[in-house]
Amino acid sequence: MRLLKIAAMTLALSIAATGPSWAQQKKTYNIGAAVYGLKGEFMQLWATALKEHPAVKDGTVKITIFDGNYDALTQNNQFDTMVTQKYDGILFVPIDIEAGAAGVEKAAAAKIPVVGSNTRVNSDKLTSYVGSNDVIAGEMQAESVIKAIGGKGNVVILEGPIGQSAQIERRKGNQNVLAKYKDVKVLEMKTANWSRAEALSLMENWLTAHSGKINGIIGQNDEMALGAIEAVKAKGIDPKSIPTAGIDGVTDAVRAVQAGTMVSVLQDASAQAQGGLDVLLRSITGPSYKPRSDIWTKYSAQGLSWGDGTAKQFNIPWTPITKANADAMLATRK
Amino acid sequence: MIPAELSDSAQLIVTDPTGIETGTPLVLAKGVTKSFNGVPALRDGCLELRAGSVHALCGGNGAGKSTFLNILMGILQRDAGSICVKGDEVNFASPNEALNAKISIITQELSPIPGMTVAENIFLGREPKHLKIVVDYPRLFDRTERLLEKLHFDIDPRAPMHRLSLAQTQLVEIAKAFSHQSEIIIMDEPTSAIGENETEILFDAIRSVSTQGAGIIYVSHRLSEIFTIADQYTVFRDGGYIETGLLADIDRRHLVRQIVGRELHAGSRSTSKTDGETVLSVKNLSRQGEFQDISLDVKRGEVLGVYGLIGSGRSEFLNCVFGITKQDSGEATLFGKAIGKGSPGKAIRQGLQMITEDRKATGLVLSSSVAFNTTLAALPKLSFATYIYRKKDRSLMQTMIERMQVKLASPDMDVSGLSGGNQQKVVLAKCMATDPICLLCDEPTRGIDEGAKREVYAFLVNFVAKGGAAIVVSSEAPEVLEVSDRIAIFKKGRLAVVIDGHQASQEELLHLAS
Amino acid sequence: MNQNNRRIRNLLADYGIVIAFFFLCIGLSVANDNFLTWGNWVNILRQTSINGILAIGMTYVILTKGIDLSVGSVLALGGLVTGSLVTGAAPHSAFISMLAGLAVGIALGAVNGALVARLSVAPFVVTLGMLSVARGLTFIYNDGMPIANLSKDFRFIGQGMLGEVPVPVIILAITFFVFWFILKYTTFGRYVYAVGGNERSAKTSGISTRWVIFTVYVISGLLSALAGLILAARTTSALPQAGVAYELDAIAAVVIGGTSLSGGVGTLSGTLVGALIIGVINNGLDLLGVSSYYQQVIKGTIIVAAVLLDVSRKKQV
Repeated sequence: MRLLKIAAMTLALSIAATGPSWAQQKKTYNIGAAVYGLKGEFMQLWATALKEHPAVKDGTVKITIFDGNYDALTQNNQFDTMVTQKYDGILFVPIDIEAGAAGVEKAAAAKIPVVGSNTRVNSDKLTSYVGSNDVIAGEMQAESVIKAIGGKGNVVILEGPIGQSAQIERRKGNQNVLAKYKDVKVLEMKTANWSRAEALSLMENWLTAHSGKINGIIGQNDEMALGAIEAVKAKGIDPKSIPTAGIDGVTDAVRAVQAGTMVSVLQDASAQAQGGLDVLLRSITGPSYKPRSDIWTKYSAQGLSWGDGTAKQFNIPWTPITKANADAMLATRK
Repeated sequence: MIPAELSDSAQLIVTDPTGIETGTPLVLAKGVTKSFNGVPALRDGCLELRAGSVHALCGGNGAGKSTFLNILMGILQRDAGSICVKGDEVNFASPNEALNAKISIITQELSPIPGMTVAENIFLGREPKHLKIVVDYPRLFDRTERLLEKLHFDIDPRAPMHRLSLAQTQLVEIAKAFSHQSEIIIMDEPTSAIGENETEILFDAIRSVSTQGAGIIYVSHRLSEIFTIADQYTVFRDGGYIETGLLADIDRRHLVRQIVGRELHAGSRSTSKTDGETVLSVKNLSRQGEFQDISLDVKRGEVLGVYGLIGSGRSEFLNCVFGITKQDSGEATLFGKAIGKGSPGKAIRQGLQMITEDRKATGLVLSSSVAFNTTLAALPKLSFATYIYRKKDRSLMQTMIERMQVKLASPDMDVSGLSGGNQQKVVLAKCMATDPICLLCDEPTRGIDEGAKREVYAFLVNFVAKGGAAIVVSSEAPEVLEVSDRIAIFKKGRLAVVIDGHQASQEELLHLAS
Repeated sequence: MNQNNRRIRNLLADYGIVIAFFFLCIGLSVANDNFLTWGNWVNILRQTSINGILAIGMTYVILTKGIDLSVGSVLALGGLVTGSLVTGAAPHSAFISMLAGLAVGIALGAVNGALVARLSVAPFVVTLGMLSVARGLTFIYNDGMPIANLSKDFRFIGQGMLGEVPVPVIILAITFFVFWFILKYTTFGRYVYAVGGNERSAKTSGISTRWVIFTVYVISGLLSALAGLILAARTTSALPQAGVAYELDAIAAVVIGGTSLSGGVGTLSGTLVGALIIGVINNGLDLLGVSSYYQQVIKGTIIVAAVLLDVSRKKQV
C-alpha cells in the first residue's frame, strides 16, 4: 500500500518535472528537514522557527519535517525517501557527524542540495553549513566560570554523550581556556548525557566526594547545569556561591539567569533554522535570490554576512544571556 | 548426523537382536546405589531385562524407580554397582550415549516443540535432507506416515503439535522412541494421560516390537495394565530390590503386597446409601463441541462415578459444573440454588469443590509452599476486608494437613518437593479446607502409587459417609467400579446410561462406553 | 556434600543478595571515606527513591508472570499533567494536582491491565505499545516543551526534608510498607503469587485471576505516576523526555532482588535491596570517579549473576 503510494507519487512528480512549463508557473518548493530528533526543547524551537520563515508562510516553500528519532539509520532511510520523492532541497541536522555523510552523498548524486544546520556532518558534498561554533561556546562558558571564581580554584565539568560533535567541540573550547589558567583544577569530568536528572544525581555524589571543594560548575548544556544547581540547592548551599554555566539558552536556563543562579549563552535555534533555509533556497533558485529572514540584519553587527549566499559555512554568533535581554527572550518563547 | 540405518529402505523397528546370544540379557543391573546429599535414594537396584520381554518395574512413589531409570539413561551417575548392556559393562555419562547404545525412554514429562509438525518432532535433529542442508519434507512426511501406520497410530504427520490432544502427544513421543530403533525401550507411565482406546493401540505396538526382539521396561501404577502387557516383573521398595519373577506365577494381591509392604484393606463398600436428599442437580447442561444435554443428580452419602473414553466430554462436563467454563444452555444447582456460571469462586462459596485432573497444571501452585497451597481456596473465610488472620490461617492449615496425613518436613517447604501421592493429598487438603458439601473429582488418583490410591478411596468413602456427595470421573474402569454407588456412562458428549455401581463389571463398562 | 556445606549454600542462596550488598558497602567504605557518611546515604536513598517506587509496582507485575515496559513513559505523562496544573500565575493546589497526575497513571495502567487480563494479549506487547503511546502523549500534551515554574508546595515532595530525611525517601518508605503489607498479609497478595505461580490452579481455587492481573497493572501505573511526580519536583520541571529507559533499571532491581521472571516467586524486600544495590553502585562509582560506561558493565554483570544465583538454587531442589 505504502509502496504503491510512493510509486504513484514518484510518477506524478516525474511527470511534473518533465512536463510542459505550465507546471513551473508558481512553483512550490518541497523542502525536507531531516532532524535528529524532536524530543529536546532546542529542536522544538528550531522546528517552530523554520515554519515561521517568510517563504514558508507565503506558501513558496512546503516543509516536511522528518524526525530521526536519535537514530542514524532512521535518518539514512529518510534520505532515501526524500531522494525517491525528488525533494527540491534538504535541511539536515544529523545525529552523528560521520554516519550522516552517506545520506548527503546520496542526495548529492541525485543533485539535491543539502544544507547542514546546528550540528556538523563530515562531508564535502554538503552545499553549506549554518550553525554556531561549539568551540567558541565552550570557550565562552569556561571563561565566564573561571572569571567568576577569580582565576583559580576547582571546577567540575558535566559532559554531553561522549563522541557527539557538540560534546567534542565544547570540550575543546573548555580545554582551550583551562590551558590558560594554571591555578584552575578540574576535579571531575564525566558525562550526564545532556540529562537534568542524571546531572542531578551525579552532582549530588560529587558534592559528597569533594565536600566544600567545588568552586565552579561547567555544564556543557543548560539541562545539566540546571540539574547541578538543584543538587547544590539540595545540599543547602546557595547556588550563587558556586558559579555555574550552561549552553543553549533553554527557557528554564533563561529564568535561572534572571534569578542570578547561572550564566548561559544562547544558541539561536531560529537563526540556524531560518538562515539554513535561506542558504538552501539560494542554491536552488540561483543568484537572484535575496534572503528573507530578518536574522541577517539582526546579526550583521556581530559579523554574520550573507555575501552572495554561497559560502561553505555561516557562523551564527552566540549571544550571552543577561538579565537585560532575558525578558525579551522569554517573550519569544510563548 | 543421520544414522545410516535411517535411510528409506531401513526397517523402522528393530527386527533382529543381532549379536546377542540367547541367554545374555539386554540389561543386567546389580547392586546399583545412589545417594543425594547423603540420603540414599537407591540402595540396591537390580534388574534383568531379556530380549523380547516386557518387564514391569513396580514400586510406590519413592521406591527408587526413577533414580534407577535415570542412571540407566545416563542422566544420573551411579555411586556403586554394575550395569551391563548386552553383556558389556556400561557407564553412560549422558542420555546421548544411552541413545547411541539403543536405549530410549518415554517419560511422563512430555517435551514436544509446539510450533513444529508431528513429523518434525519425531525426527528432530535426524531429518532426511537434500545435500545435507535442506530438509527433504516429502521424504520426512512419507517416513513418518509409514512409522505411524506401522504403529497403528491415527495421527496426521503434517499436523502441528499444539493441535494434538494430550493423548496424541503421548503417542507421538512413543513413535519417536520407536523411530530410534531402540532395542531397549523404557516406558515411564506411558498411559497416564491417555484413554483405554489409545491404551489398546499402544499395547498392540508394544507387543509388535517385543515380538521382534526389543526389550521393554514398563513402569505404571496401573496394576491391571501390568498384568495385561508385561510378562516379567521386578519390585522395588524404599530404594531397595524386593523380588522379581513371572507375572503368570502371581496374582494382583501378591503384587500389591510386595509393592506396599503390607496387606491393604480395600475401601470398597457393600451397601448403597442413595436414599438421601439431592445435593447437586444438573439439568440439560450443554456446551458446544464438548457435551450435550446432560441431566443427573447426586444425593447425600453417594459417590456417582462417571466413566467414558477420552473425548466423551466427561472432564469438560465437570469443568463446566464447577464454573471454569460457561455452559451454552442448561443449569446446575446445589440444593436448588443455581451455581454461579463461570465463577469457581462462587461455586466454592456455595459448597462445591473440585479435585482437578492434573495436579501440576491445575491443582497446585508448585512454586509456593505447602501451607500457601493448603489454604489458598479458603482465604475468603480466613480474612476480613482482605486482611488475612494469620493465626486462623496457620491453624486451619495444620488441621487439614493432619487430617489428610500429608507427610512433610515442614509446611513451609515448597509443595514441589513432595512426592506425587503427598502432593495429591495437599490438593485434597486444599479442597477440604473450604468445607465443601459436594466434591467433583477428575481422575483423583492419576499418577500416584497403590498405597496412596487406597488412602484417596478411603477418604472419599469417609467423605460421603459423613453426609457429603461426590462425582468421580476416571478413565480407569476398576477405579470407577471400586468407589461408585452409581455409574454414569458418557459417550460422545452424551449421557448414555446410569447403572448400579455395585452390580457392574469392567467388561460391561467398556462395552457401554465404546 | 555434607550437611554443613549444604546449609551454607542454602543461606547463600536465600540471603546471597543481602550479603553481596553488605560486601559492596564494605568495599566502597574502604575505598572512599565519604561513602559511609549520613550525607552520602541521604544522596543514595534519594537517588534510589524513584527507581525503588517503580520497582515496587514492577515486582507485582512480574510476580504474575507479566512485565510492564511502559513505566518510564507513564512516569513522564503523570509528571507532566501534574506539572501543568501547578505552574503559572495561579497554580492549582498541589494536592489536587497530584491526584490528577496519579489518576493519569491509574488510567494508563487500567488500559494495560484490561488488555492483558480481558483480551489475553501478551503483557510484553501491550506495555510495549503503551511505552510508545504514553510517550507520544507527553509530547502532544505540551508540544514537546518542558513545564517549569512549578509551585513551591509541589516541589516539596521532591526537594523537601523532614528533619534529616528527604521527602522522596519517606514516600518510598511509606509506599514500600503499604505494598509489602498488601503482598504479605492480604488475600490479594496471596492471589498475586498464586496467579503467577500457576494461573489455572489459581482459577480452580476460586480466584478471579483476571481481576488480579488487571489490578497489578493499575498498581504499576499508579506507582509510575507517583515516581513521575517526585522526579518532576526534584528536577523542578516536568520534562516530556523524562524517564526514558527507566523500565530497564526497574526490571533490573526486581531481578537482582531474586524475583523470578517466570512468576510466582519473589519478595518486595528483595526488590528494595536490588534497587539499593543499583543506587549504591552508581553512587560509589561516581565517588571513585569511575566512568559511567563501567557502571553499565558492572550493573549488567550483577543482573546476570543474580539470575545465576536463582538458577543454582532451583537446581539444588
